[in-house]
Amino acid sequence: MFRNRSLNNDLALPQRIINYIFLTFVFVIMVIPMINVFVISTSTALDASQAGLKLWWTKFSLEGYEYVFRITKLGRPFLNSLFVSFTSTIIQVIISSLAGYILVQRELPFRKAITSFILLTMMIPGDLTLISIYQVNKQLHLLNSYTGLIINGLVSGFCILLMRNYFLSVPESLAESARIDGASELRIFSTIYLPLSVPGLATIFFLEFVGKWNSIMIPTTLVTDQSLFTLPLVLKSMIINKSSVSGAPPAPDNAVMAAIVIATIPLILIYVFAQRFLLSGMTLGASKE
Amino acid sequence: MTARKLWKQVKKYKLIYAMLFPIALYFIMFSYYPLILGIINSFRESKLIGTPRFVGFANYKEVLANPLYMNALENTIIVGVLTFIVQFVFGLLIALALNEIKSRFIKSTIQSVTYLPNLLSWAIVGGMWITILSPSGMVNALRQIILGEGTSPIVFMSEPKYARTIMVLTGAWKGAGYFAVLFIAAIVSINQSIYESARIDGASRLKQIVYITIPNLVSTMKVIVVLGSMSILRNFDQIFVMGNSLIYDKVRNLLYLIYNDGIVNFKVGLATAAATIVLIATFLLSTFVRKITRYDETYS
Repeated sequence: MFRNRSLNNDLALPQRIINYIFLTFVFVIMVIPMINVFVISTSTALDASQAGLKLWWTKFSLEGYEYVFRITKLGRPFLNSLFVSFTSTIIQVIISSLAGYILVQRELPFRKAITSFILLTMMIPGDLTLISIYQVNKQLHLLNSYTGLIINGLVSGFCILLMRNYFLSVPESLAESARIDGASELRIFSTIYLPLSVPGLATIFFLEFVGKWNSIMIPTTLVTDQSLFTLPLVLKSMIINKSSVSGAPPAPDNAVMAAIVIATIPLILIYVFAQRFLLSGMTLGASKE
Repeated sequence: MTARKLWKQVKKYKLIYAMLFPIALYFIMFSYYPLILGIINSFRESKLIGTPRFVGFANYKEVLANPLYMNALENTIIVGVLTFIVQFVFGLLIALALNEIKSRFIKSTIQSVTYLPNLLSWAIVGGMWITILSPSGMVNALRQIILGEGTSPIVFMSEPKYARTIMVLTGAWKGAGYFAVLFIAAIVSINQSIYESARIDGASRLKQIVYITIPNLVSTMKVIVVLGSMSILRNFDQIFVMGNSLIYDKVRNLLYLIYNDGIVNFKVGLATAAATIVLIATFLLSTFVRKITRYDETYS
């Protein structure tokens, strides 16, 4: 491919300037709110409540973070979120890769029917069946339990089919020659298929972890016991409390923003780790199965 | 394959079927059964104790006659469609603009920064913007700088007239980066030789963007429209976090109302009837959008 872009294949100067202005505008719109949140979270409660742009510190202080751990007791919900998200994501990845591998076995009787059975579940929007899902969880005694938080959304048709698509792209001759050499199915799966599908595994891990870490609807529906609250539920009640009159004394702005920063950190960490695998996985998710 | 042979095959794979069994059980219990239970409940009265009676279409009539549901439908469509449009336009513009930048550092920085909010939950993004829009927040501080010291602060989150705009703009702020990533991936895969020959024919860069890049993005746009038409009806978290009793009339959407009726107020019959209507509407809408974008012809 001829990649050498010589000078005459650029935008004209005025257009280039407009382009830079637009991108600067986008950058500012995206970044300023984030800086604002970070500065408020590391200011004193008094400074945080004063009017102002708050893009730089009057006085740097970590009292917001201290408040959040000592008074709001954010430690427990943070660990709850971490535990629930990690456990269910890891189980999800194992189940999806096993099921995806099963679905590429050509000789398996009823393979098409099984695939359709899984594909159809993707057409059922989970948030519209929420009320029945609540009733099912109630019948199974899963309300207010870690098991309930982990098991809801544990298997996803989307992830299974994503893995199946990755496995389909593995050349069958590879598996065939391994089989002739006497390798067991499990060995073929773990030494040929899995290593060639690392981007798929990373994508599922990333998407599912983020989805679970951020999940609001299911935990709100299933959990009323405060000791089982996940981070989004605590964040929500902190935000609501600020604007309402009743209940516990509202947390100061710097504490709310500190909680927001704390809830964001794991997402940024996992994004940095998974980033190099993501583009292919995400675009795959947007194309039709 | 004869029945005997088939049976032999099935027996050979019995271990695999045993592995599939828990997965099938999961989907039956948490996907298919709730769907059917919801439809059954939509034909029954809302009753907490004892067996509820079947009441025919009474719940459906109640939903359609209920002004709250009509209001929620209006809010869902207005806020959803506007958010999608702003998100789509900005996603496309960001992708096109970034493609003209040569510095990889600037490219990846802006791409990461615009994509980041997409990862954050509405509990985070909502809390952030509620603070920024509060009387002591950044937006009011900016107004004072521009309009002078005496300007009295606006309590944005309790003004019905700003409510929809706020939901649309914060929704687009969160989501535009994802669309940009999809567009960028599509732009990268366009064959470079088309640009080369256009350049040799003397087409300016702007012309190349208009006549090569954008037409080559049409199929990606279709995918995004299909994805977007599905997500319009499914925006619960934003309203759950950012809504309040002063602005609900402008922003309360169908999912939020269904949740409120079904889970909070125990009106199971009413809520499941509404959910069933939305379910059917979603299905019809997706079929319709797929048809007009010729999605299936292009992608199967």
